[in-house]
Amino acid sequence: MKKNIFYLMIGVVALVLLAIFGYSVEKFTPVLFMIAFVIGVILLYVAYRRVDDFIEDERSARITEKAAMRTLQVFWVCFCAFSIMAVMNLLYMPRFSREFWLNRENDIVPPELMSLKIIGYIQLALLCLMIFLYVGFRIYYARKYGDWETDEE
Amino acid sequence: MKNKIKVYRAMQDLTQEDLARAIGVTRQTILAIEKGKYVPSLDLAFRISRHFKVNIEEVFTYEEGVRTVDID
Repeated sequence: MKKNIFYLMIGVVALVLLAIFGYSVEKFTPVLFMIAFVIGVILLYVAYRRVDDFIEDERSARITEKAAMRTLQVFWVCFCAFSIMAVMNLLYMPRFSREFWLNRENDIVPPELMSLKIIGYIQLALLCLMIFLYVGFRIYYARKYGDWETDEE
Repeated sequence: MKNKIKVYRAMQDLTQEDLARAIGVTRQTILAIEKGKYVPSLDLAFRISRHFKVNIEEVFTYEEGVRTVDID
């Protein structure tokens, strides 16, 4: 398969996924979109393996490897911080506020829980952060390993 | 790591694209190696020198104490 056909396929899969997303939202069937998304990714992966005019040499592999590693290093810190905050929120922690200790005999209102909606939005934001980090690191390492060097030939 | 790929290419009248195709890498990789932006693996260094039919030390020279971009 030629790589242009693969790029075309990405566009088609994205459009189909967008349509399924719209349908899922309208009919409130999030599972449908989840399944479609996974199938779409698998389909693209299988297609990617069949592309024969991609030249991936050791330099491009190294760029990918470095960018992925750095992305993971930054992302896990952000994800860990968010997860700890979310768990603490769910467990009503920390209970160190003055109000809590002053009113512990009475029925106190627990601190407001983070809604699932907010958690979902933050997760989506973290996902976007991961994509931006990866693209940023990829550009950085591609430049470092001479991707945009000019040639005097 | 210094290299004389450009010199050997000129001697054999090869373009970067020709050399890249012959050893199975991208032209950008040859350019990056020539400019010292990327230090090739031992395998690739051998393939390049074998293509020029010379020993690896004739194409690549290791410079003591010179930190290359590939280290970090």
